[in-house]
Amino acid sequence: MEPILHVEHLVREYGGRCSLTRAIDDVSFSVERGEFVGIMGASGSGKSTLLNCVSTIDTPTSGRIFVEGREVTGLKPGEIARFRRERLGFVFQDCNLLDTLTAFENIALALTIRGTNPGLVEKKVRETAELLEISDCMDKYPYQMSGGQRQRTAAARAIVTNPALVLADEPTGALDSKSAKLLLDRFEALNRRRAATILMVTHDAFTASYCHRILFLQDGTVLTQLERGAKSRRDFFRQIIGVVTRLGGDQSDVL
Amino acid sequence: MFSKLALKNVRRSVTDYGVWFLTIAFGVCLFYVFNALETQTVLRFLAQHPKTNIVEAIRELIGMLSVFVWAILAFLILYASGFLVRRRKSELGTYLLLGMERWQVARLLLTETVCIGAVAMGLGLALGILAAWGLSAFTAGFFAVPMTFFTFSVSVPALVKTALAFAAIFLLVMVYHVFAVSRCRLIDLMQAGRVNQELRRRSLGASVALFLAGAALLVIAYAMLLTRGLLRVDALFWVMIALGSLGTLLFFRSLSGFLLHVCRSSRGLWYKRLNFFVLRQFNARINTTYRSMTVICLMLLLALGITASSVGLNNTVGQMAEQLNPRDAQLMFWSETAASQPDLPAILKEGGFDVGTACSAWASFPVYGGGLISQSSLDMLAARFGPEEAADFLGREALSVQPDGELGEAGFWYFLADYAGDRNAAEEAFQQALSGLAGLGDYVWSSRLQSWLDLMGTKVLVLFIGLYLGVVFLLASAAVLALQQLTQAADAVGQYQVLSLLGASAKMRGRAADAQVFLAFFLPLSLALVHAAVGITAANAVIAQVGKVDAAASSAVTALLLAVVYGGYFLATCWGSRRILRTSR
Repeated sequence: MEPILHVEHLVREYGGRCSLTRAIDDVSFSVERGEFVGIMGASGSGKSTLLNCVSTIDTPTSGRIFVEGREVTGLKPGEIARFRRERLGFVFQDCNLLDTLTAFENIALALTIRGTNPGLVEKKVRETAELLEISDCMDKYPYQMSGGQRQRTAAARAIVTNPALVLADEPTGALDSKSAKLLLDRFEALNRRRAATILMVTHDAFTASYCHRILFLQDGTVLTQLERGAKSRRDFFRQIIGVVTRLGGDQSDVL
Repeated sequence: MFSKLALKNVRRSVTDYGVWFLTIAFGVCLFYVFNALETQTVLRFLAQHPKTNIVEAIRELIGMLSVFVWAILAFLILYASGFLVRRRKSELGTYLLLGMERWQVARLLLTETVCIGAVAMGLGLALGILAAWGLSAFTAGFFAVPMTFFTFSVSVPALVKTALAFAAIFLLVMVYHVFAVSRCRLIDLMQAGRVNQELRRRSLGASVALFLAGAALLVIAYAMLLTRGLLRVDALFWVMIALGSLGTLLFFRSLSGFLLHVCRSSRGLWYKRLNFFVLRQFNARINTTYRSMTVICLMLLLALGITASSVGLNNTVGQMAEQLNPRDAQLMFWSETAASQPDLPAILKEGGFDVGTACSAWASFPVYGGGLISQSSLDMLAARFGPEEAADFLGREALSVQPDGELGEAGFWYFLADYAGDRNAAEEAFQQALSGLAGLGDYVWSSRLQSWLDLMGTKVLVLFIGLYLGVVFLLASAAVLALQQLTQAADAVGQYQVLSLLGASAKMRGRAADAQVFLAFFLPLSLALVHAAVGITAANAVIAQVGKVDAAASSAVTALLLAVVYGGYFLATCWGSRRILRTSR
């Protein structure tokens, strides 16, 4: 079966001729339909740049990105907007909800931008809200909700349109451990029940332990990969900690 | 070091300064044109005739009004400065954080202000000189003035006055900057980027009740205005104004809840594209900006009312010249001492005004006690000026006719004449000849040329001052709205970035931005138009007492002015807010 996301020899360089920085240096990987993939790495390892390139916020210097077999590098601005609203869902660290809209309207916005039939909007929003367990705060404004509720609202907004790929950039970064756990449980539920494909960037081992597969990035290259397979989450978490320590160790060896 | 930083700042924030720059340039331009009225062809033509002191009167009135206009412009420029400081709060915070003294930051702002202000003032003066010239050509056509009076000229006193007036405004701006910088706390400056939108929600019932109360107050105010008329200024007049203002305030206050609920009841409308986003954005703001909407609505009412009334009055005044003085010259003479009938034509001829050669037609006759003239005098009038004019004359001067021989003692004498040949020369000769009458008794005289000059003066006064004040009010309200919308656009950048991420195309986002500007511009305007329609009806009732009212012409001029100034600012604001909200990808 065709992969949802396919990245081929991706390179992203910053700066001019004299001070060239390679944020991403020849990265290739694929994400299959229904997978929950994590990208881990220290700050400056290029994980956010990678996500930005996939989400068409940034343009790669060279290399190609395919989503559902369609190349997204080099889309025209109009096509980019269309691609984003029809194929992608975003969840960010600072959730990016609109302060003037209620939670319900924030979720509905993703639908109305797509031009969804107004009669269907309410039903779809309610369903998604139920899945994310935020039905009781639908009429609240973002600043009246807790951080966890906000982040789950953002997740609901990301998946209400049934996108091919959900991109999450440090979704638990601003949450306490309890809220983070709740959000990740919901991510897992989304992944299982709706077969949502999720690509999540994180630096937190606990968050990463919810994924099926983890790519470890260092200095712009994929250093190693971990598959969860049939392991329990606890075992997977230990394995991740092991890799992170080794990576850290490498760095301290250099120093 | 500081001047370098200041120059760099100006170059960097050129779009922010653009609004400020334009506001100053426009203000300077308007102020110069108003004060340089003496360069106007029409005024120079009127000043040629030494007997009219209307030019002096116009100058005095302009002097007083320009103080008023200066106050409006000062308010406008200070408002624009506030916009600038607000936009750059986090930058100013960084300076303070890096250890710059407050006075140094204030000096930095001052240098920037002076740089921009000097350039804007130069441009504004150049524009003003050109605009005065263009207006001169335009109005010369309006008033049918010979082209010999039309030259290009620059008024030095007006230049000096404008420069001084705006130097004073800049001084105010500097004081404001120092005040703004010294007042703000570092923590506020650093967190200025965070938008703390306060949302006050009201129930639908309360909104409807407020709306109805507002509408009722407005209807009462309208009814009072239409039944009482415009010119009865007493205690009730101020009650009427207060009711109208309060009604307007309640209208805009209730509008937010009202509009939202109405749109929400239609699911097809509410969940269509960015509709509910636009309405929510607007709603979150109208709670804080309904006061400014009220002020703008009332300013627009003043602008529309003044413009339409002045054009209407101008047309009516033009018609009055003919009605007031159908003859080229009219003299009324009476005397306590001269018992015998004075021979007016002979006396005038002695003074150098030969009725035989200087007039195409003339008549001289006595009026007897109680406003009676003889039948033979009337016949003479009918023969020389036509029977219609003879009848009109009786009506105009409130005289009646008696058969000859039944009349008592003559009370006073009339002399009527139409000039032959050069009217200006004849008028001058007539005026000189009148001095011969001075020793014999008392007299009053009027001439068509004299009345025409007086009326032209009134016309200039009414039209210039009316149009000018109309433009100033219109410009001020449009500029305030533009600044307000651009500030809000700057605050909404983050929200539009989210829209972009959610896949709203640039076109969709642009339309949403336009819709917000549209609501801000046209909601106050729509109510102001209703106000103005009522106000102008009342004003026309006053004008109708002196002459015929041409409502179509005054509406057309007002609409044109509105379309150019207000429409122009609307389009510029749409463009500006689209530019601010444009995200790279």
